[in-house]
Amino acid sequence: MKNPYEVLGLKEGASVEEIKKAYRELVKKYHPDRYRDNPLSDLAEEKLREINEAYDILMKNANNSSQRQQQQQQYQRQQQSQNTGSGYYGGGYSGNSDYVYQIKMMIQNGNYAQAQKMLDAMPVRDATWNYLQGLLFLRRGWYDRANAHLRRAVEMEPNNMEYRDALSRVNTQYNTYRYNNNFYRGGYNNNPDMCSICTTLWCADSLCECFGGDLISCC
Amino acid sequence: MFGYIIPDKPDLRIWEFEVFRGYYCGVCKAMAKRAGHRGRIVLTYDCAFLALLLDSLEKEPVSGKQKRCLVHPLKKRYIADNTSAVEYASDINILLSYYNLKDKWQDERNLLGPAGMAVLKKGYKKVKKKYPELVKEVEEELETLRELEQRNCDSIDEVSEPFARIMQKVFLYGKKCESAGKVLGWVGYNLGKWIYLLDAYDDIEDNIKNGSYNPLVVQYKYSENESVESFRERIREKTEFVLVYSLSELEKAFSLLDIKKNKSILDNIIYRGLLIKTRNVLQMGAGCHEESL
Repeated sequence: MKNPYEVLGLKEGASVEEIKKAYRELVKKYHPDRYRDNPLSDLAEEKLREINEAYDILMKNANNSSQRQQQQQQYQRQQQSQNTGSGYYGGGYSGNSDYVYQIKMMIQNGNYAQAQKMLDAMPVRDATWNYLQGLLFLRRGWYDRANAHLRRAVEMEPNNMEYRDALSRVNTQYNTYRYNNNFYRGGYNNNPDMCSICTTLWCADSLCECFGGDLISCC
Repeated sequence: MFGYIIPDKPDLRIWEFEVFRGYYCGVCKAMAKRAGHRGRIVLTYDCAFLALLLDSLEKEPVSGKQKRCLVHPLKKRYIADNTSAVEYASDINILLSYYNLKDKWQDERNLLGPAGMAVLKKGYKKVKKKYPELVKEVEEELETLRELEQRNCDSIDEVSEPFARIMQKVFLYGKKCESAGKVLGWVGYNLGKWIYLLDAYDDIEDNIKNGSYNPLVVQYKYSENESVESFRERIREKTEFVLVYSLSELEKAFSLLDIKKNKSILDNIIYRGLLIKTRNVLQMGAGCHEESL
């Protein structure tokens, strides 16, 4: 068993607030939604389980485990609603939902060759087909085609939430990385330069003077 | 490999920079040992990254010494010790550079090819003997790549696959433990895809001029009455999507790795360096700095 503090990336003896904050961030980072179209989703789940356990241990020490249980229940509920959700939409494919479900499971389990075979055998190239083909390509790393197929699926059936979700997941992932905090946190090229510091000071000084005070006495 | 993987240098702290350069120098030194001093000329930053990443999964602290070297005799520099990660990265550098030179000769009849190959021959043979399985798999993928290029493949996804898989195998081999291997493999796969396509975008102008194969030119149907600049402009957004999406997948895999040290340097490369490089090659003018070490 690993040290729970280490799992959450904290120093021994961190405060409850710090634990909560670290936990929230890690859950966001390894959230199953984020890894849904990724071949490593099982490993992300494992990691999340580890984080949950570590959090439980630490919060039990802090006599406050009820809150996490609540969160966990909430999360499980979310999962369930998602699962039933996809089942429902999958059922939209008349008479073929079982076939579609099989393909989905194969993609999920990394059996790409078989999934591709079954997709090739489908008689029509409708929205469902495009959607599944998109998901498969996404997992295999063929992002250009994946994107095209998912777009096509949404174009063909604009009201299908499952297809739209998949496409928006792709866009969210793209944008989250592209505009990641590390990149846009205001590094060396975004810091206020001398000019804007001076202007700000000057402004503050003028405002103070307006009200009869003074910030910088020499001007 | 083409030397695209570099940190965002101005954002590195000085010790971070020293450590990164330490790995770079360490790989260089290991290459000299394997392939002779002339073998150093093919050193790339990509393999310094490979050494850094693989070594960061080991819990021993970074080990290295201040030393003088043949290339920079005047000042002592921090050089990482020849750990298994550093040695592996240097072997990979020799291997991939050898194939790159071979490719240069076969495609362009560039005389640099045979000259470089002669220099690396000895090292290449040693590496081949050391990792026979890996070398076999890499050579098979290269053969597939050649076929795809020769038949003018019109899908960037398909043609970038062999190189992506080469990198997948290279990263996978770096760590035998199964789950870490799978994660590293996905880092490598996406990195390979990114490198191949970034290089393709970088080469558009040259390839159009001398009529050689370029997957972007074929997939997006460059027509002769279009200027190269407007073509690049036309496909910029689409290319950016695939490049950045590959990086975002790489980032997910990276998040799953159990990094024991050098985290801030790796973060710099993965969250900043790779993105800045992408923007610079796509000429998006992000106002970003880039310098050689």
